[in-house]
Amino acid sequence: MYVAARGGEGAIQNAERLYRELIGHFDAETVRTIERAMPYLIDRVMGEGSLYAPELAALALAQSGGDLYEAVLMLRAFRSTQPRLAYARVVDAERMLVVRRISAAFKDIPGGQVLGPTLDYSHRVLDLAVLEGEPTTQPRGHEELEKDEPFESLYLRGEKNHLPLVADWQRDAGLLPMLPVHPCQEATEIPDVTREPLLFPAPRAMRLQSLSRADTGGVLALGYANMRGYGAVHPTVNEVRLGYADVEIVHPITGEPFSIGRVRVTHAEVVTAVEAAPAGNDASAGEPAKLQLALGFCATVGWNEVKTIAGAMLDMAMDLPDPHPSHTEEYVLYHTDPVESSGFCIHYKLPHYVTFGSELDVVRSVGAAKKVSGLGDYYGDGSGLAAGMPGVYSERATPPVSEAAGEQV
Amino acid sequence: MPTIAELASPNPGYSYAFLDEFAKRELRRRILKAIAIPGYQVPYASRELPIARGWGTGGLQVTLSLVGPDDVVKVIDQGADDSVNAANLRRFVARMAGVATTTDALNATLIQSRHRIPEERLQEYQTLVLQVPDPEPLRSVEHDISKARLLHAEADYGLLWLRLYEQLVRYRRVTLGASYPCVVNGRYVMSPSPIPRWDVPKLHRAAHLTLLSAGREKRVYAVPPYTDVRPLEFADVPFRVEDQRGWTCRHTGLQHKFMSELPQPGGGTLYEISDTGFVEKVIARSRAAEVSIGATYYDDAGRFYIDGYLR
Repeated sequence: MYVAARGGEGAIQNAERLYRELIGHFDAETVRTIERAMPYLIDRVMGEGSLYAPELAALALAQSGGDLYEAVLMLRAFRSTQPRLAYARVVDAERMLVVRRISAAFKDIPGGQVLGPTLDYSHRVLDLAVLEGEPTTQPRGHEELEKDEPFESLYLRGEKNHLPLVADWQRDAGLLPMLPVHPCQEATEIPDVTREPLLFPAPRAMRLQSLSRADTGGVLALGYANMRGYGAVHPTVNEVRLGYADVEIVHPITGEPFSIGRVRVTHAEVVTAVEAAPAGNDASAGEPAKLQLALGFCATVGWNEVKTIAGAMLDMAMDLPDPHPSHTEEYVLYHTDPVESSGFCIHYKLPHYVTFGSELDVVRSVGAAKKVSGLGDYYGDGSGLAAGMPGVYSERATPPVSEAAGEQV
Repeated sequence: MPTIAELASPNPGYSYAFLDEFAKRELRRRILKAIAIPGYQVPYASRELPIARGWGTGGLQVTLSLVGPDDVVKVIDQGADDSVNAANLRRFVARMAGVATTTDALNATLIQSRHRIPEERLQEYQTLVLQVPDPEPLRSVEHDISKARLLHAEADYGLLWLRLYEQLVRYRRVTLGASYPCVVNGRYVMSPSPIPRWDVPKLHRAAHLTLLSAGREKRVYAVPPYTDVRPLEFADVPFRVEDQRGWTCRHTGLQHKFMSELPQPGGGTLYEISDTGFVEKVIARSRAAEVSIGATYYDDAGRFYIDGYLR
């Protein structure tokens, strides 16, 4: 037995058809064009969708008419149906093929500052000539670039793009605490925020996973509040690193690690001076407090500098003593998920007439308190209320609720 | 020997009822725990579904992890089967699980609902899945979930009682509308989801199992059959349901069922029973069709079926 389409079902089918009309026809070619022409958009959707699949991200964008939250939801919903086939080996940042890496902390760093592809130092001027059919204006430079050569292949020549980490230099110099021994020896032991509930205080892995799939705009808003002055410190960007990382798994039969593909990744680190934890012995009592550097970290799949810098600031802010209420771990992680926040926001469009009716009932009965007192038994009797209560109630003005509001036609 | 083709899922794109078996198993285990500790919020991973988050994905995950080929599913929103989102969720469950659907509350083995409990008394063979936007009854007095969990663990509900008392002092009555907090099995305070106060007594010692699931907030909790559910009330200030006396349904002429209020052009109001499946049957019967209408929680004079529960 299937209930035939009724009012609601017909309406939702029509609504979807109108939507399809609006965004128009798209095909495999459209999807390929989106993937090729909008790598940063693709990266943002993949990062927030926590699924590295440029083609699917492009399809989601085509299918959602460019509505980012819808595209991310589609990717996540697809992702949640996929089995986990294997665990990748840890990506060593030093083995990344670096395309761009900047440190604001030092003028020069081992391996050098690499500007790579960016609009950072360009004039953001609309290339209006393109609208007249002219080709795009090409800045001069980079003669190695061959026509139609895939961008990625520029960075796959030799070892020159394997660059050491700034933070490692600082650790060797005793400026940063050494990395703790990794608590999860096996990849299968790493808590997975997509398979287990997030509880607080969250394991570090879950915090970083949450930031990695967080809404770019949401992380930016909270991170910006922190940078603008609600944070106690002024962090410095230690390193922003964009590049390609090999996804390596261990061959199930030979046991040899091998690369199953290469993904675009971003990571950002910020540093600031914080008071070192006291040694805790009697000898340290009375000594002046010590300062040391602390690191905030954020990484994501795809190239997304804004999110990772803001995320690294928040990562640091969460660990500082007594953070602003909007920078606690629970606040940040709960409120920056793109699917949850956008979904809940638009859910307010759903009918709420039952809850609203319940609220109106309260508004009316408070407004007409004298009228309801002495009502019958099963609705509850308000008459007992006044007994033993201070006398101010009788003197209170009646709130402005229309007497006619409850009248029946 | 079976062939690979026979063993393969008939719908290779997706698992039966959409969720993969690991997700279903996780959720079923959490549900069992929830049933074992009535009213306690059990955290679960909560998968993304191809439905917007906050649109019933918590209830939907529970429905999808429980549904089987022999089930008959009813989905309602505000009591209505043909509400747009209810229609979409029902379509999804039917498509992914290949189950029959119904609008008749008594025919359904599985009822997913947003904001309402049907007017007919549910039975032992039925499971009610309530969609929950906010599972935390302490939210208004404690925003921080970590701290609220501690308050639950210590059964420290003083802040909530104080809030009720403050409302009494200020307005002469408790001014909570829907989502009225209740004590389950004498231990945990739970939010019954934003059902009207009218529906809260229906949970008390109910024959059916109620599962409450919040997808966005990733919590599932339960009221097992025949479990005590008591709204927070003071000994001298009883809990009150919505006062709809004198409201008559424009379709059925009935009173004392939960009504929706329909403002009319030029002023005035019409009323209709919010449970559309029930209305459907009452109308069918008035046209001499053979329908079975079950006993309702509130009788035609508005008396609740368990004597003395509503004071």
